[in-house]
Amino acid sequence: MAVDAEIPAYARAFMDAMKETGVEIVTALPESMLKQVYFLCERDNAIKYIPVASEAEMPGICVGAYFGGKKALMIMENSGIRQACEPIARLSLCHHLPMVMVMSFRGELGEKNWWGHNHAQTMEPILDALRIPYWFVERLDDIKPMLKKAFIHADSSQWPVALAFTGECIDAAYR
Amino acid sequence: MEELKMRRVDACKTVAPLIAPEDLVVVSIGMVKDDWWNYRPADNAFYSSVLGTVSTVALGLATALPHRRVVAIDSDGGILLNLGVLCTLGAVRPANLTVVVMDNGRYDSTGGHPTHTARNTDLARMAEGAGCLDCATAKDPATLAREFQRMLKDDSFGFLVAKLAAGRHPWTVEQQKPTDGVEDKYQFLRYVEKLEGKIIHSGVGRH
Repeated sequence: MAVDAEIPAYARAFMDAMKETGVEIVTALPESMLKQVYFLCERDNAIKYIPVASEAEMPGICVGAYFGGKKALMIMENSGIRQACEPIARLSLCHHLPMVMVMSFRGELGEKNWWGHNHAQTMEPILDALRIPYWFVERLDDIKPMLKKAFIHADSSQWPVALAFTGECIDAAYR
Repeated sequence: MEELKMRRVDACKTVAPLIAPEDLVVVSIGMVKDDWWNYRPADNAFYSSVLGTVSTVALGLATALPHRRVVAIDSDGGILLNLGVLCTLGAVRPANLTVVVMDNGRYDSTGGHPTHTARNTDLARMAEGAGCLDCATAKDPATLAREFQRMLKDDSFGFLVAKLAAGRHPWTVEQQKPTDGVEDKYQFLRYVEKLEGKIIHSGVGRH
């Protein structure tokens, strides 16, 4: 398993935040910018990790977990919101069901890949179209309080909440 | 092509009584809604508005409540829209989950256009290839009842395809389940809260 010998700070901070928030189920489509988080979830005994074949599977899994009274988190690159649109729209807009999603923000200032820019270009308009409130998380110290608040916000509003990770909160190779 | 005799209403009539009030069900608001409701008019089911999410919601529920039996009443159209879920189910193999696919080979709610299962797709074989170990197909109520009961009780993941004749039962308006997305959600949520003896959504913090 390709876990770094030394766990990078962003992955440690994110894992700690999940533990302290009480996240018990993580569903994700692994991607590069939070790559170590997926390896850590895989080997973490306290987290039930459900990797999926498509981001469209994740909203249902999170909602099912919510019905069961468990905190579930969906993690993806920001391009994944495009794939997950329809189930989010139906479950949240039609049923007022909450879900918390973390997405790495591909397409940040200085993006080196030609294909990465449209991830950023489409993320905010899609979140706006889905009427999902979102916040950027840039500093390691912000991960824990913001993740905690995201779950409170989602539950009390019965609506999704998105956090876009960038800056210190993603793998150093992509900053 | 083989002539199928079991209708969706027959399949619901067969499966619904085998489910206990303590079991949790995820079904959809498609044409199956009223077939299910008439044989199981209870709050232990969530009626999802989304084609392709019955089995994912059921997977999340089964993962969150491993001590509870969860049943997904999915459809051919629903599985076909979100085929990756077969692989995820095959990877996770949730022991407390049974997926029943009401496969009539039709998009019944939209007028009966054929789905791919009316042509060459076999969902039970696809699930098997995706890693689901216990897959079966039932073409008559007796087989459906036997296989469903076995899967429900055996503490391992089961994937059961009910091959159905096309067509819908003509429920009167009075017989149809009244439905609203938010109301349906709360009915189910509060039912789970009572069943599990815990508050899932209180809606208030400190003022």
